[in-house]
Amino acid sequence: MIVNRMVETDFPEEFIEEIEKSQDSLPRKIDANPGNVEKGLAKLVLTLIELIRKLLEKQAMRRVEAGSLSEEEIERVGETLMKLENKMKELKEIFGLKNEELNINLGPLGDLI
Amino acid sequence: MKIYVYGIIDSNDGIGESTCGLEKANVYNIPYRDIGVVASDLIGPMPDVTEDNILAHEDVVESLMENFTVLPVRFHTVFDAKENILSMMGDYYTDFKDNLNRLRNKVEFGIKVIWPAEKIKEHITSCYWKSGRKEVVSDDSPIKRFIREKFEKYKIDKEFTEKANRLVTTIDIFLGKSAAEKKLEKLKTENLLLDGVYLVEKDKQSNFKEAFEHIRSARTDLRYLFSGPWPPYNFVILPKKSRPLKISEQATMFDKIIQKQNPVGADKT
Repeated sequence: MIVNRMVETDFPEEFIEEIEKSQDSLPRKIDANPGNVEKGLAKLVLTLIELIRKLLEKQAMRRVEAGSLSEEEIERVGETLMKLENKMKELKEIFGLKNEELNINLGPLGDLI
Repeated sequence: MKIYVYGIIDSNDGIGESTCGLEKANVYNIPYRDIGVVASDLIGPMPDVTEDNILAHEDVVESLMENFTVLPVRFHTVFDAKENILSMMGDYYTDFKDNLNRLRNKVEFGIKVIWPAEKIKEHITSCYWKSGRKEVVSDDSPIKRFIREKFEKYKIDKEFTEKANRLVTTIDIFLGKSAAEKKLEKLKTENLLLDGVYLVEKDKQSNFKEAFEHIRSARTDLRYLFSGPWPPYNFVILPKKSRPLKISEQATMFDKIIQKQNPVGADKT
């Protein structure tokens, strides 16, 4: 048991790791300077597109789950989602962005995605 | 000479025994009507962000907590002159007073809980495959395979989140009984099941700790970080019109562990 002043845990390293992980995805500002402005803007735009893509995907899965789509409609939705995902992969590669970088910290509201 | 601020207290009188703050400076109370701003003089440059300095700041706030209700101010809060402090107090006196009344005789506890996310997902996945899972599409074209995989992931993620919600609710049933207010965040990372802070009346501290011990002994598969009693860092509420105090925020490993998130006037940008 480690008691650090008023902090008490048996697993300090694990908590440090998780807290650091949760903070890594929380940029406090957009890092834009002449050298990386293009990437900075791409990150912002792709984050918003990724948010919309995930919302679309979730809504589609809810409808699949509810059984309100015919097989034909499921196939059409699937094709759209697949193309959108592939396009996002291409764009992320072009701008050298990783999945975990596509997020925005909304302060007290938490992460956007 | 600048003035370094530690917190706002519900007294306009002296703070009792001599207290040392950052750089061993004498800590004193600057009265404003019936409340006060606890501060020390800062002769040199802004103190470095070191663990010692952060702990020196924290020591002052904790010693204030023993005798007063305190609204803690974030590390590195400095004013150019006493007049600026008094002007700020004039602007926000009512807000500070409301907070001091609300937080009187209350302290904050923090609890973080890690659960074995990977194992839980594996278990959910295996249950999903064992149970009569619903075939969403019949044949095996690439598109249909894609949608099937997406649907399976959606179902597993949904069960994972629901399981997390149920567990957090159970933990909160125990801890919430002795708390006046709470702020809970679920799944900040897949492993970090709960990151919560509870505002607890001073005379219910032992009940709160007992409730935590009860959870800890009942769920030995979870890992816990329990902290407190702290000054009510996360429960000071200032209206949006409040302008932030001049703050330069820096995090150290100690900060990261104790996660003091929203002191008075904290600038989140």
